[in-house]
Amino acid sequence: MIQDIITIIHDYWLLLLIGQYPNGPLGGLANTIILSLLAILLAFPVSILLALARLSKWRALRWPVTGLVYVTRGVPLLMLILWCYFLVPLWTGADVPSFLIMLVTLVVYEGAFLSEVVRAGIVSLGQGQMDAARALGHSHLSAMRFVILPQALYNMIPSMISTFVSTIKDTTLGYVINVPDLTFAASQVNNQLFTQPFQVFIILAAVYYVLCWSLTYVANSLERRIARRRAGPRRNARLATEAVPLKTLVEQP
Amino acid sequence: MTMPVSPLQDGQAIRLSDVCKSYGDYPVLRHINAEVGRGEVVVICGPSGSGKSTLIRTVNRLEEINSGSINFEGQNIHAPMRGRELNRLRSRIGFVFQSFNLFPHLSAVENVSMSPIRVKGVSADVARDKAIKLLDRVGLADKANSYPGQLSGGQQQRVAIARALAMEPPVMLFDEPTSALDPEMVGEVLSVMKSLAADGMTMLCVTHEMGFARDVADRIWFIDAGEILEMAPPKDFFQNPRHPRAQRFLSDLRH
Ligand SMILES: Nc1ncnc2c1ncn2[C@@H]1O[C@H](COP(=O)(O)OP(=O)(O)OP(=O)(O)O)[C@@H](O)[C@H]1O
Ligand SMILES: [Mg+2]
Repeated sequence: MIQDIITIIHDYWLLLLIGQYPNGPLGGLANTIILSLLAILLAFPVSILLALARLSKWRALRWPVTGLVYVTRGVPLLMLILWCYFLVPLWTGADVPSFLIMLVTLVVYEGAFLSEVVRAGIVSLGQGQMDAARALGHSHLSAMRFVILPQALYNMIPSMISTFVSTIKDTTLGYVINVPDLTFAASQVNNQLFTQPFQVFIILAAVYYVLCWSLTYVANSLERRIARRRAGPRRNARLATEAVPLKTLVEQP
Repeated sequence: MTMPVSPLQDGQAIRLSDVCKSYGDYPVLRHINAEVGRGEVVVICGPSGSGKSTLIRTVNRLEEINSGSINFEGQNIHAPMRGRELNRLRSRIGFVFQSFNLFPHLSAVENVSMSPIRVKGVSADVARDKAIKLLDRVGLADKANSYPGQLSGGQQQRVAIARALAMEPPVMLFDEPTSALDPEMVGEVLSVMKSLAADGMTMLCVTHEMGFARDVADRIWFIDAGEILEMAPPKDFFQNPRHPRAQRFLSDLRH
């Protein structure tokens, strides 16, 4: 059993790592990572725009975007992939590579998820920061850019990493539209060997596990560090809610 | 809707004309008519929930009003106007909050210099020099590089005052600037406010610090249930308040 696994790794490591490249398209683990990274990097700005639209005072912007986020979050990812797979070629009229379709789907899906995190991060800062910026003469956008987002996004770093982890796991669904990723490579190996599915898929699971676990570990330690930074600096400040104005009614001599 | 703005008379900085505001059916400000002279220090006092914060927040339009007008520098702050125009007017009215609202991701000097740079387009070097001078003025030159979280409440509020002053506003508004502070820190903030008043700043302050009101204010507005019931110099207000509710307010204070 162990011997089988070692043999499989020995024989197929290159296929699992980069697919059929350079004789075919890039695939394997490399493609999984590239796809996930691109997805999260593009989903990030998308999520900020979606969050700002959801917090906008204009209904014409707020309502459709809220609807979009709800629908996206409410349907299974597989459904979105299939929609894009059939709709995008209809729409563009061209033969779109499955990698691109998967990328678009992931950006929309993770963008909608992250936008909720961004929105919560903005709302949790409270009205005081926005009031202070507006009172100094900042426009809404300028207040967002220089005051609100730097704080909200900093607090968001751990969520970004967890979303990256889910993205990595979600890329496996690209299998149904033949995206040449790690899962696809593993199933190619499985088809060639035919008799050792258990061994092949143990390798597959182990690779995903190590990748995701180490990222989760990084996210957790960052989270702890950020929590400490947030707690530490505030220790001297008494919160406004603690203040009882009537108690400070003092007649000074 | 918004009425035509009543003009400022000589020496007036702000004029509120027939300002009304309600939350739903509940009126918070009823027909406020008042003006603040240039260089005048006005203290607003009144019981909790009487509408003091709401009133002072309408002056730079952090709160909208239902009717009336507020004239500042010849313009009705509450007239329909472009965002850019409102931002320009706001930048000329300093505001100090009860809960400081410093930007926690920026150091003290960055808190003070950020808005001149981003809003007014002042160069970073000039803004920084100015910020250090202002921090010096509020007694915090040595804390320029500290973050708000590393400062005491009194120090944070002094940075917040410096931050407002950095925009060079001709008028400053204070909403209970010392109410969130431990008692031993109240004095340091009040003394900064006193020195501002002595320099001729026009100030509108909501505060429960009656000693400050007595020593520094030119006039006191007493507000209850959304109405200004009494406007008087501190001496008159403290020695013989005319309105029964002002009398009750003061006698409650003394106990
Ligand atoms: N967003 C709001 N919605 C509904 N009612 C509000 C809102 N904000 C304030 N109020 C009400 O308006 C009234 C005036 O509030 P305001 O904060 O101006 O009082 P205040 O005089 O500043 O009181 P305090 O001394 O407690 O700060 C209060 O009765 C308050 O409950
Ligand atoms: Mg108040």
